[in-house]
Amino acid sequence: MIEVKELKKKFGRKQILNGVSFTANKGEITCLIGINGVGKTTILKGIMNLTPMNSGQIFIDGKNLSKDTYEKITFIPDAITMIPTMTIAQAMQFMQDYYKSWNQSRATELLSFFRLKQEDKISSLSKGNTAKVNLLLGLALDVDYLLMDEPFSGIDIFSREQIANVFTSHLVEDRGVIITTHEINDIEHLIDKVVLLDNGIVLKEFSTEEMREDEGKSVVDVMREVYQG
Amino acid sequence: MKSYLKLVNFEIGRFMKIYLVLIGLTILSQLIGVIILSKSYVANANEAIYEYLVPFGQFIEEYGRMSMMSVVDSIWFMGPIALCAAAFLFYIFFIWYRDWVGKNTFIYRLFMLPTARLNVLLSKATTIFLLVLGLVAMQLILLPIGSMLMKWNVPLDFRTDMTIREIINNSHYLFILIPDSFIQFLINYGLGFMAVFVLFTAILFERSFRWKGVLLGIVYCLIASAIFLAPLIYEFGIQASFFYPVELLIIEIILGILVIAISIWLSKFLLNKKVTV
Repeated sequence: MIEVKELKKKFGRKQILNGVSFTANKGEITCLIGINGVGKTTILKGIMNLTPMNSGQIFIDGKNLSKDTYEKITFIPDAITMIPTMTIAQAMQFMQDYYKSWNQSRATELLSFFRLKQEDKISSLSKGNTAKVNLLLGLALDVDYLLMDEPFSGIDIFSREQIANVFTSHLVEDRGVIITTHEINDIEHLIDKVVLLDNGIVLKEFSTEEMREDEGKSVVDVMREVYQG
Repeated sequence: MKSYLKLVNFEIGRFMKIYLVLIGLTILSQLIGVIILSKSYVANANEAIYEYLVPFGQFIEEYGRMSMMSVVDSIWFMGPIALCAAAFLFYIFFIWYRDWVGKNTFIYRLFMLPTARLNVLLSKATTIFLLVLGLVAMQLILLPIGSMLMKWNVPLDFRTDMTIREIINNSHYLFILIPDSFIQFLINYGLGFMAVFVLFTAILFERSFRWKGVLLGIVYCLIASAIFLAPLIYEFGIQASFFYPVELLIIEIILGILVIAISIWLSKFLLNKKVTV
């Protein structure tokens, strides 16, 4: 389980996070929702220790993040984290060189799933295909937790569908996923848990299934209630 | 350790294209320089002796004998060395900023590797150090080749042959690059290494605190310089001959190691606790 406790973060004078707390379980997809600038990406970066927090605690399976944790958790940002001049094959080789958790057979499977050619240079790929390579590099790691930042942002409908299909496949099954997205419609039916954020705090944290069963509300219904009500 | 070595190999690979261009330019410039300067000297001699009938002795008196010193002090020789030095100075900054700036987010990957972040810093520093040593080694190979080329082009009576050591010892900048004692070598390159670590720390200050970090970085550079230079300032500015030379040397070595250690410790702290992608 990923536990985020009382995270606080200031950028200059602006308080971005003001005591954010939530949990994300293994085997569930947790979605962080909030308008731009609300701090969703900052939370993900904070979990990965890619940006320092002013205060708060983060535990991954009850432990603080260390270098070994990067074999258990990975972050897929909204931009590719490889050198653009590399080919996809070189990027995969790089991952294999450094991560024990790299699963080459899964990487090969993802290559054909996304219909990518490993000899293609990353810089020559379309935005959609770049996002797929980025996803491939994260998903081919045998990690327990995946953090994804806006995986559907600015890419074509067919690529979106392909990426959404990943969430229903064995590629994500049994892992804990934290995802931030604006395109809630694409994956609403896949989300297990929602964390609604605004003004640096968690406005509401709920299980989608319970919400549907107990109150008959969809994620969008709850969002309307919380943000517009 | 394995990750560190892999990272060093990776970083060297990333710089290899530019490095090979630098090596190519240095080889071409220095060897072409030897040929051009030798031929021009011989042409001058021919013109003076055969056209203006200047006696050999008088020509030598007026123009001197051709030696490798005329070559190593020329722009043909110094130019590429200065270019390489400038390239490496630029690369100390570029080696970090290229992974951060613009659309490039490779720094995310580097910081998410399952290895100590300090390895990222150490691999970058090692890369710079190894590549600099590579250039110095190449210079040591180019000097005898240049010397041989000069011998082919200039007749024995018109030239002064020098050993490689003599050439280096007579040239200020070559003597800094290739000193004549191992201790001096350690001092020169230790100083360079110290400067790289201090600048890396300053860069990480900037990457951690942005504009405030620029100021902190500059202040850190000043403090590190003050620590290192304090005994020298005292010796040469306040009280001459206060230290014995060997005392001064030992103090400077200790302070140099101290500055490197502080820089690495601070960098480690910044990389783990403060830096932001």
